[in-house]
Amino acid sequence: MAKRALSWRRAADIGWRDLKSAPGKFAFVVLSVAVGVAALVGVRGLSNSFRRTLLGEARSLMAGDLSARIFHPPSDEEQNKIAGVMNQDAGMRSTWVTETISMASVPQSQTPLLVSLKAVDPKQYPFYGTVDLQPSMSLQQALAGDSAVVADEFLIRLNAHVGDTLRLGGLNFHIAAVLEQEPDRITSGAGLGPRVMISQEALKQTGLVAPGSRISERLLVKLPENPPHGLTADAETADARAKLESALPDAQVMDFREGNPALSRGLDNATSILSLICLVAMVLGAIGVAMAMHAHLEQRMDMLAILKALGAGSSDLLRIFLLQTMGLGLAGALLGVAAGVGVMAALPSAFGNLLPVRAALVIPWQSGLAGLGTGLLTTLLFCLPPLLDVRGVRPVLVLRRLVEQGPGGIRGFFEWWMRRWPQLLLSVGLLIPLIAIAWTLSDSAAVGVRFGLAFAAALIVLLILAAVTLLVLRLLLNSVRLRIPSSLRHGLANLYRPGNQSAPVLAALGTGVMLILTVYLIQADILRDLRETASPKLPNVFFADIHPDQLAGIKNFFAHQPGLQDALDTIPVVMGRFVSVNGRPVAQLRGQHFPLRMLESAELSWADAPLAGDKVTAGAWWKDGNATEIAVGEGVAKRLHLSPGSSMELETGGVTRMLKVGAIYRADGQHLGSRVEFVVPSGLASDQPSTWYGGVRIDPNQVGAMERGLFAAYPTVTVINVADVLVRIESVVDQITFVVRLLAGFSILAGLMILASSIASTRFRRMREAVVLKTLGATRMRIVRTFSVEFSVLGLLAGAVGVVFANILTHVLLSRLDVAFRIEWGATLLALFGTAVLATATGWLASYRILGLRPLEVLREE
Amino acid sequence: MIEVRGAKKWIQNGARRVDILKGISLTIPAGQFVAIVGASGSGKSTLLGLLAGLDTPSEGEIGIDGVPIHNLVESQLAAVRGRKIGFVFQSYQLIQTLTALENVLLPYELNMEGNGLSKARQLLTEVGLQDRMDHYPVQLSGGEQQRVALARAFVIDPPIVMADEPTGNLDSTNGLLVLELLLKRNREAGTTLVLVTHDPEVASHADRKIVLKDGLIAEDTLPFRAAEALVPSEERHG
Repeated sequence: MAKRALSWRRAADIGWRDLKSAPGKFAFVVLSVAVGVAALVGVRGLSNSFRRTLLGEARSLMAGDLSARIFHPPSDEEQNKIAGVMNQDAGMRSTWVTETISMASVPQSQTPLLVSLKAVDPKQYPFYGTVDLQPSMSLQQALAGDSAVVADEFLIRLNAHVGDTLRLGGLNFHIAAVLEQEPDRITSGAGLGPRVMISQEALKQTGLVAPGSRISERLLVKLPENPPHGLTADAETADARAKLESALPDAQVMDFREGNPALSRGLDNATSILSLICLVAMVLGAIGVAMAMHAHLEQRMDMLAILKALGAGSSDLLRIFLLQTMGLGLAGALLGVAAGVGVMAALPSAFGNLLPVRAALVIPWQSGLAGLGTGLLTTLLFCLPPLLDVRGVRPVLVLRRLVEQGPGGIRGFFEWWMRRWPQLLLSVGLLIPLIAIAWTLSDSAAVGVRFGLAFAAALIVLLILAAVTLLVLRLLLNSVRLRIPSSLRHGLANLYRPGNQSAPVLAALGTGVMLILTVYLIQADILRDLRETASPKLPNVFFADIHPDQLAGIKNFFAHQPGLQDALDTIPVVMGRFVSVNGRPVAQLRGQHFPLRMLESAELSWADAPLAGDKVTAGAWWKDGNATEIAVGEGVAKRLHLSPGSSMELETGGVTRMLKVGAIYRADGQHLGSRVEFVVPSGLASDQPSTWYGGVRIDPNQVGAMERGLFAAYPTVTVINVADVLVRIESVVDQITFVVRLLAGFSILAGLMILASSIASTRFRRMREAVVLKTLGATRMRIVRTFSVEFSVLGLLAGAVGVVFANILTHVLLSRLDVAFRIEWGATLLALFGTAVLATATGWLASYRILGLRPLEVLREE
Repeated sequence: MIEVRGAKKWIQNGARRVDILKGISLTIPAGQFVAIVGASGSGKSTLLGLLAGLDTPSEGEIGIDGVPIHNLVESQLAAVRGRKIGFVFQSYQLIQTLTALENVLLPYELNMEGNGLSKARQLLTEVGLQDRMDHYPVQLSGGEQQRVALARAFVIDPPIVMADEPTGNLDSTNGLLVLELLLKRNREAGTTLVLVTHDPEVASHADRKIVLKDGLIAEDTLPFRAAEALVPSEERHG
């Protein structure tokens, strides 16, 4: 018998009337969606602005998006290839930066000085960051004609001044300004002697560059503002990098993320945590909505039964409630977008200068639309399983309110699930859009898949654990039932009322606690790791060319230096020559994206333990100082295809040895250890002629005085001042810390509100119980005690389940991010007991009217 | 015609099985007014639920007009309910968010083609609620709500009307009015009326009285004019 379906219009009408009948109740649903979407829009929008700022900072440390270093002037063929790469994309720009060493002199000083010469095209350089000059002027102005800019150290050493003449090669230069800061100082070579910067045009005229000159050429590349062909920024960088590596097979190509590994890692970790916050906000919102809709349908059981008795099919009912849900989802999503944009707009004015994000906050249309779409989609996805329960509503409920529980035990469990196969199927199917949303939010397929699967697995385990926990509690309760106070007994028994939802509520609450605590723990651990990486003890002034017999004197000099914040750190450097790598002669290693010159004339250090700032990522460091092993930096190892066990034949001091790669390490880019790519055991090199590198942390205001003092005592030692750069890095770390804390706090707050609404959604059931208790003569205090036991035990159990999983999840996630995990006892205990308090408080907040209800009001409605 | 063969109903609560109906067999011819009576817990409402296709028997067969309904899938069962049966409940069971007119119209919208508005209005006028059509259930008295429920039950012209204690919540005047409307429908339209009641006075109007006790038929009588009606006409006249 064919049946007519309820028209969409009538379904919408019934749904709308139903909404109007209890607007307060639906406020929770709208609020849940709104909070989730607001967090999503706010977090995503802010984090996008923040990420842009941070990426700008990271790029400025390289002065470009990519750099390719070669150790010879680019040949015509290479120039043509580069031009070919650049021509492929109109928005791409490039410029060469030449670095070499040369002798420089000034008329007033008889002694020439070895300087670290850098030649740039001031019209192009730098692509990111700024060159600070004193007196203030543009680089193009300063390097016009035969002008040069010099480091303060140069003027100190030669007792020269701005305006003096400087002779380089065969050419006189006018010293136009003091070079106070060049953005890529930390990523350009250590160099020898103070910095002198001139234009490329001027360099050609000096005659310093000739075939065979020891020069380093760096090609800086700037990528277009907007990635072409729908590529993401990361894909665009990888694409350009591949093209550069193909055009310059011998060049060491680096992208801006490698410029400062510590910063890049901080940025990566911050991005991960921000993505996580986005995802958590979304999932929490969805859980809130699903819980609220479930509770709503439970209250509408009578209406559903009547409709079914009148001939409505499940599809008619689904139509009504689907429209209702989508309407609520849309309202919540719109409200959430407005709130999210509001939060973003309000933050800078509310915090003023306290907010270190300097990037302009643009209206996040993209985030807004994404929030709207995500809000609607997650509402639909998470509500469908509870909505499908309308299929199981029995019309006979109009005649009798008998709850048939079905068979118990394992059979009952399986039968229950068999009846819900569409929900089960849908829940499994839900994973796909969930992964897609997570993918979109995190811009990473891997993160999306991992998050989706981990979330599903966690939810299943949490549900099972919740059911088991309740079962154990029930067994305990049964054994002591009549020996405990009646309100406690009644409160505990409430967890097992027929048709109860304790396990799902517990699982949802537990999931919420797990997600919130995970966000907190991860951000705390990542920020701690970041602070340690960019700790205030990092050296901000480096020294090169320290002769071994100067070492003791220099250490003594720094022992008495005012403004010193940490003792002088030193590493020795010896020169070596690699003969073969993995059995292949070095000369055959062309096209490995690694300049051969860095193998033919390699700087090595010796140490019998990892150097400060280095972290072993594969293999193990030797314990025997005479081991025939070598440790290699991660980047070099990757380019030369080295791994623990690989062989390298090295010649030092006339002795050639076959060494085994013992360890691969990652340098943080900010310690002395970052200055060398190869480390050998002390026994192999300590007797070789060496020079030393040094590094100290000193008050930036004292650097000038220290430089003068050091020059007076040790005129041959080169000082490389990165204090300004370090200040910038630290300010970036501050930004990361601040924004991550701010957004995590926002997300946590949103999560708490949603959890509160989940608990509040069970109000209806308790209302009936309260009036029955009152009818039986229970006082208000007795009802308060009974329900408080129920709320707090539910909260405590959910808290316990949540904190256990949060710690496990954090441990797993942090190990993937390569960050150490520590149990945060304070946060864990706070989450545990906080959940109980929150559950009790919100339970009562949402139920306060119950105590005032007159029994007849409710019983008449029965 | 409604036919029941060996219908049993039990519910399983964990390991415990509660038997509600222990084996019911009966036939209700078209147009008959049957009163089902019995003490509380005797299984009256459960039997009504089975007859109406609101629930399925644990064992046994139920057929309406020769179509077995005990093994229909949910959507087919919904269609049977929607097209063949009108319901009246003790507690009215109106949708609180719809007006009287919309409540009456609803079964039509769910089950019939075309516009049932004029029919809904006509039925509400027939039950004396022509001035209350746009009122919500909460704005109506109990008697008025039950009359709306009657109009709703009649709107699709069902061959069968099932009523569960339709006068149970009403005062005697309203109760009588509702009963008269049901009887009128039964007599004038030839609608089969199955009515569950506690009230002997209400049951006395029925063609047939089925008394349930502990899930079984204790008594099945054709006390009144129905006995005459059930005698084949050739016997009666010949």
